[in-house]
Amino acid sequence: MPEPGADPSVISEDLEDLYENAPFGYLSTAADSTIFKVNATFAGWMGFPPETLIGRRLRDLLTVPGRILYETNVAPALRLQGRFEEVALDLVTDTGDKLPVLVNATERRNADGEMVSARVAVVRAKDRRSYERDLQGREAAARETLRSEQETSQLREQFIAVLGHDLRNPLASIVGAARLLRREVQSEKGLKVLSLMETSVDRMAGLIDDVMDFARGRLGSGIDLHRAVCPLEPVLRQVVDELETSQPSRTITCEIAVPEPISIDPGRIGQLVSNLLANALTHGDPRSPVRLGAVTRDQRLEVWVANAGAPIPPKAMERLFQPFFRGEVRASQNGLGLGLHIASEIAKAHGGVLSAISDETETRFTLTIPLGQDGGA
Amino acid sequence: MGCHSGVRVSAIKRNNVRVRGSGAKAMVFAHGFGCDQNMWRHVAPAFETDFKTVLFDSVGAGGSDLSAYDPTKYATLDGYADDVIEILRELDLKGVVFVGHSVSAMVGVLASLKAPELFSKLVLVGPSPRYINDDNYVGGFGAAQIEELLEFLDDNPMAWSQAMAPAIIGNPDRPELGEELTASFCRMDPAIAKEFARATFMSDNRADLPRVATPTLILQCSDDIIAPLEVGHYVHSRIAGSDLRILAATGHCPNLSAPAEVTAAIRAYA
Repeated sequence: MPEPGADPSVISEDLEDLYENAPFGYLSTAADSTIFKVNATFAGWMGFPPETLIGRRLRDLLTVPGRILYETNVAPALRLQGRFEEVALDLVTDTGDKLPVLVNATERRNADGEMVSARVAVVRAKDRRSYERDLQGREAAARETLRSEQETSQLREQFIAVLGHDLRNPLASIVGAARLLRREVQSEKGLKVLSLMETSVDRMAGLIDDVMDFARGRLGSGIDLHRAVCPLEPVLRQVVDELETSQPSRTITCEIAVPEPISIDPGRIGQLVSNLLANALTHGDPRSPVRLGAVTRDQRLEVWVANAGAPIPPKAMERLFQPFFRGEVRASQNGLGLGLHIASEIAKAHGGVLSAISDETETRFTLTIPLGQDGGA
Repeated sequence: MGCHSGVRVSAIKRNNVRVRGSGAKAMVFAHGFGCDQNMWRHVAPAFETDFKTVLFDSVGAGGSDLSAYDPTKYATLDGYADDVIEILRELDLKGVVFVGHSVSAMVGVLASLKAPELFSKLVLVGPSPRYINDDNYVGGFGAAQIEELLEFLDDNPMAWSQAMAPAIIGNPDRPELGEELTASFCRMDPAIAKEFARATFMSDNRADLPRVATPTLILQCSDDIIAPLEVGHYVHSRIAGSDLRILAATGHCPNLSAPAEVTAAIRAYA
């Protein structure tokens, strides 16, 4: 409180004027919710002389929806909490226009917790409310766009599934035709062309299988499993033999210690391991062998494939198992970038997980599948 | 192990049912549109010495299981009435005194028609069988006004959610609020609130009133714009043998604005 004769540069506040002409509308309501005091700002916004507002209720100054919400929601909240904040309502002015406002209120209570009166502060919020309404409209539009995009993308995946399926028939015809030609006497050039054809057909069949697996995974049916309880070693040995035959210059060392039969889909696990081994042979250092290991511990099966060579860049690690991911695309690489994605889906279908670590020493992919009641059933 | 389809969530969990007090008879408190069971916090404790008190949140409100919300089931008040019956059956209660506020007064009426053995008395606080005026019937609102309410809820989800879930800020100089500040009141999922508003304000249960056979007390507030005096008289005239008590309390929520008067009126009847 400034003393009389104190520093004239100290401005004192006129509290009466602050109340009447504040940049807020103020009203005070009695326990029966009638208004007993209102400031000039509020009366001015409403277009009524202040005295005509005395004895009325705040709810009577609202639009009908506002009245209903005030009585059913806002008034109970005020009574229960002693306050409410940032409630958006529409006032109706003397000209019948809507005045969008935000309202805060606090209750004054006596020693028994009964309401004595309530103080209400009102701030105009026309722009803010229309901005919110606009935002709401945009959110709805964005949701609609997303929904339609998802629909389109699902259609696209269905199309891929159907296309993949339908490509198998003409491919089977080509395989049959090649087989027929082989039974006849062929020139040396003819035999060479037939071999090329058969290799291309194999590769195309592989691509179609990948696309079909991918589409099935995306369409929600997931990778279908045909589980059987069988020994793991023959499954792994066959995959290793196939790859060593196709790349005789490379060595794959095996440490397989899973003597007991386990419940897996042998075809799918073979597909997964074949994929990991092929990747390791392609990307690993050709001077070092690729290593394959399998072990059971703590009710889990672990199968790992490791190779030496340049590590996978951290950025690529993040997206390794995403579909159509191909890292740095090199001319030598062909395929769709679905291999690791499908391998990871196969792991998931078994209730397990496929993970990767990569550093200067080695790059290692590990398949972990739970065994026992859950995983083995 | 695993999920069995068709397993029902317990109604006690779904509706966040709270049972307190002791007594041979039970008194059930049902909250109306816009709040949750906290609405009865100044009334229900007064009955705990003589009654087993049962409070619950309707699905979508308070601590109810939001995932149990089924738009088809709850499109009309019937779905809410079925929940009341399920709660009472799960608690193995019969012949209860049902105290329903606002829309839940009609929910109680419907439940008593479906399973009369579960109810011994109905106390309807601010009941309305229809909010929209119709020929000679005064409900309090024009059809266009209710339409305007539903549109307002569509256009103003933010306004709505602010009203639904006001920020609660610590208030050390008001120790009596201490307990209340730990929970937020009248929380309601905005999307569900919109549908609940539709089910409430579009309802017409006038034809059900003459079928009520359970002894009924109507507590009518003075100056209630949601359920005006005419509506209280209408409900009284249509339920044979019902009692009508006009409260001095004003507004739509006498359980909050005048809990002592409401408590006394219920005690005198129950």
